[in-house]
Amino acid sequence: MMEPQQLDRVFIALSDTGRRRMVERLSRGPATVKELAEPVNMRLPSALKHLKVLEEGGIVVSHKAGRTRTYSIQPDAFGAIDDWLRKRKASMNAAFDRLVMAMEEIPEEEAEK
Amino acid sequence: MTALPVAHSTFVIERELPASPRHAYRFWSEAALKQRWNECHPDWVIEESFDFRVGGIEAKRWRMADGSEQTFRALYFDIVPQQRIIYGFDMSFRGQKVSASLATVEFLPAGSQTRMKFTEQLAFLGEADAMRHRIAGTEVGFDRLVEVVASEAASLH
Repeated sequence: MMEPQQLDRVFIALSDTGRRRMVERLSRGPATVKELAEPVNMRLPSALKHLKVLEEGGIVVSHKAGRTRTYSIQPDAFGAIDDWLRKRKASMNAAFDRLVMAMEEIPEEEAEK
Repeated sequence: MTALPVAHSTFVIERELPASPRHAYRFWSEAALKQRWNECHPDWVIEESFDFRVGGIEAKRWRMADGSEQTFRALYFDIVPQQRIIYGFDMSFRGQKVSASLATVEFLPAGSQTRMKFTEQLAFLGEADAMRHRIAGTEVGFDRLVEVVASEAASLH
């Protein structure tokens, strides 16, 4: 569970229209500062300040490659594990369906021969 | 980039199998019989080994249709013929570890059939970059964030 202070930072981060538009843009995929600043008519230093607030709110993460800093939505660890679990369960269930079929194709008596 | 925190989970799948535990066990312990059901895309497998004994390793490498590789590597910890199999394994996607698990398979007699119980306890290490991008996509981007915030807010009351 999130700490109340962390929750405050989330709400502060999302309390600004410009920042919400940045989050919406990032929910479609990673973007550079320039790509985030332009559609909301922000200058780069101002965009960077807003992105810092979003980063402190745990909403976005950034990484630098060469001179370019790219931002993306903070992957939600719980959402990601849910996704992976669904895949794991689906793949094991499908495998066990095939197991039942294989066992029907090769009954006990026949396999003993 | 800093690593995501490790998330843990457990899931159980129970199945009725149409023969005795003795027969069901063979479909896990014999390579030819296991191959009949364990493979969803036999044509993707590019490397395979199966050493079914305590301390033995089972390994597999696939190349999927889009060219990306996936691996599975298991070590058998405990084998009680016709009763249970315990193994640990990890899975990787494009060279990045995705999860490490402990799997327990139990075979319980149920009349002339077998009740098989598969329990997987897994440590999820985070998605490989390729998968992470998909998760950050529209499918679960802003909507999920709103959900998380809403549920966190609700839990404060």
